[in-house]
Amino acid sequence: MLTARIKAIAGHLPEGRLTNDALAARFPDWSADKILDKTGIAERRIAADGETSLDLAEGAAKALLAQEGLNPGEIDFLLLCTQTPDYVLPTSACLLQARLGLPTSAGALDFNLGCSGFVYGLSLAKALIESGQAKRVLLVTADTYSKLLAPDDQGVRTLFGDGAAATLVEAVEAQAPLIDPVVFGTDGLGGERLIVKRGGFREPSAGADMVLEMDGPGVMAFTLGHVPKAIEQLLARTGRTMDEHDLFVFHQANGFILDRLRKKLAIPPERFVIDMREVGNTVSSTIPLALAPLLSQGAGAPRRVMLVGFGVGLSWAAASVVI
Amino acid sequence: MSALFAGLAEIFEVDESEISSASELAAFNWDSLAIISTLALVDEINGVLLDGQALAKCETVADIEALIAKEAA
Repeated sequence: MLTARIKAIAGHLPEGRLTNDALAARFPDWSADKILDKTGIAERRIAADGETSLDLAEGAAKALLAQEGLNPGEIDFLLLCTQTPDYVLPTSACLLQARLGLPTSAGALDFNLGCSGFVYGLSLAKALIESGQAKRVLLVTADTYSKLLAPDDQGVRTLFGDGAAATLVEAVEAQAPLIDPVVFGTDGLGGERLIVKRGGFREPSAGADMVLEMDGPGVMAFTLGHVPKAIEQLLARTGRTMDEHDLFVFHQANGFILDRLRKKLAIPPERFVIDMREVGNTVSSTIPLALAPLLSQGAGAPRRVMLVGFGVGLSWAAASVVI
Repeated sequence: MSALFAGLAEIFEVDESEISSASELAAFNWDSLAIISTLALVDEINGVLLDGQALAKCETVADIEALIAKEAA
């Protein structure tokens, strides 16, 4: 049967770094050690002034093409997940098509999701491929949340970093699907748990007032309540068990939330991937950035991995894939 | 409620003997991280997800206990 599979992933991070020492100097009630202990993050990468999601997306996509020895002409669809586009319009994916030299016959679109975005993108790529509409989909996630953070908001500045990841999803012949049907979830009543109010057309921006507001306890309650339910639904939908999964790669929100989720779900630590220490919470790129080193370990037997994205929207999605 | 007291003591980095129902939360570092930690603690020991805003408004440990009782009812 024709099935979609995750072929390769490459990441791209900006050069700028925000260390715990720098944060501790600004917020004296938290030491650098306490920040590391509570968040699991040692440093975040921060885009420079004038460096945008599109720039990071280009870096990740070019790294992927080079790594795979792939000609841009072989990509027939581009999906770009970002909440920090260069412009209101045109679509960043269209600009990225030109920067990468993808064929003008390629489809390209942006979709606006945060921490659930990679899993949604994977589902869209799977659908395009398995319905015969595309053979090679370039799925790019890119965000620069640092540009939306109030300088004095300790709760968000300790967590978020900028970054991008490019994932090649391609058609292969296999005995069974390599990306199982994805389960989704949406609760717009929680829209204000994570929100940037200004800069759209409801509250036009006067300039430097596009600021992320996060209700930390609300997000925590959402995560602990909804993620286990989404996983139950995924297992019911796919007929699989937790034990069948060799690895679990969840959205790398922060070390504290991941630790609570792991314990609640009784997942052994050695199968629960935590890989955000040097990058922080990169929103839609956390899952592919954590998956990339697992893919490049290559030659071993195929492994089944559970992916769960959850966050702003509120929005969530869970998938079971073979890498 | 001793699991709650022990958990709160860990969150506030104080000895468990310093926590009682009468304890004023303002005497400890009752910041957003402590609130998030308490929310996760109550989920773990009581299987109850508290409303974050209601939890933030608690002034004493007894208020948290009352909120748990209300949510669990």
